[in-house]
Amino acid sequence: MEEQQVGSLHFQIDFSQPLYEQILDQARSAIAKGEIALGEKMPSVRELAQELRINPNTVMRAYQELERDGLTEKRRGQGTFVTSSADNVASFRTALAAKYIDSFMEQMENLGLSWEDIEKYVRGKKDSGTGGDGL
Amino acid sequence: MIPNIVECHQVTKRYGQKIALDRLELAIPAGRITGILGPNGCGKSTLFRTLTGMVRPDEGRVEVLGKTPGWRTNQSIAYLPDRARWYPNHTARQALEWGNSFLPGFSMERAIQLADEMEIDLDMRVGGMSKGQEARIMLILCLARDVDLVVLDEPFTGIDVMSREAIVASLIDFLEESEQSILISTHDIQEVEGLFDYTVMLKEGRAIWSGNSEDLRAEYGSLRNVFRKLYAKEWND
Repeated sequence: MEEQQVGSLHFQIDFSQPLYEQILDQARSAIAKGEIALGEKMPSVRELAQELRINPNTVMRAYQELERDGLTEKRRGQGTFVTSSADNVASFRTALAAKYIDSFMEQMENLGLSWEDIEKYVRGKKDSGTGGDGL
Repeated sequence: MIPNIVECHQVTKRYGQKIALDRLELAIPAGRITGILGPNGCGKSTLFRTLTGMVRPDEGRVEVLGKTPGWRTNQSIAYLPDRARWYPNHTARQALEWGNSFLPGFSMERAIQLADEMEIDLDMRVGGMSKGQEARIMLILCLARDVDLVVLDEPFTGIDVMSREAIVASLIDFLEESEQSILISTHDIQEVEGLFDYTVMLKEGRAIWSGNSEDLRAEYGSLRNVFRKLYAKEWND
């Protein structure tokens, strides 16, 4: 699986997984992390489809979803841009973080761990320096 | 718009002892780009010739664009056959002019634009062309037409990498602009599997799988892996 750079975005497409979700997830995370700046122009549907060698309809569907997320906006005749609203990106990131935490908590509870145990694991992970990128 | 661009019910076609299509059941939705995949001899070309009325099935019912295939439906189908026939002294431009005179819905302007994108020298003689250049001209003759259905039989076979890339790139542009339905048959899906949003796998004249490519990926992994597994026998022969 090779990494492909398209404008400010980079993608790693695995043809053994549904393509739509990969494009959507990778673009969402690039915007949430600020890899592509607020107000910056997104690659056109055509450009992305050409670089990734995939059906433009698949790219278009992912772009529509990004717009519904409030992460991008279409400007008439100019293409798609990352939202210029830091609030939109922040609230999307918060919502996504909440979703990840819910599923993490559910998995931990399925292991029969108490909140104290979970806290201890998370702290231990943070102290050993392997967790996250210092957020 | 009709829901299915192609419908086959119990379609059988024999050539002497050999069964090319074997009680084929198939429905292909309109407005999609469909990959018809399978090894050589699985029935892909016979299916396409049936859809264009060049071959009549021995049994069963075929509908294309909601009608029985024939000269009427053919006016709305751009078909790229698996072998080219040319006047060798014609130039590329004359080949396109031929298309402009005889093919319904043909746009000369669009053809010249495609020739430019695919780096075809319009003054070159067809007789002196490489297989890849020839394949690109054939594709232009199909893509320059405003028709409901485009049928491409093995457009990637036996051509150089540059031509292959030029063809894939123009197909992607074409898909972005058009609402047409496209059927592409191929026995080699490397680098093109991302194009198909609907997939039909043929084996020994039957459709052994058909559906959304994304569902196929979710269920079985990449089309290329599925392809290898399903056709393992032919691969090892």
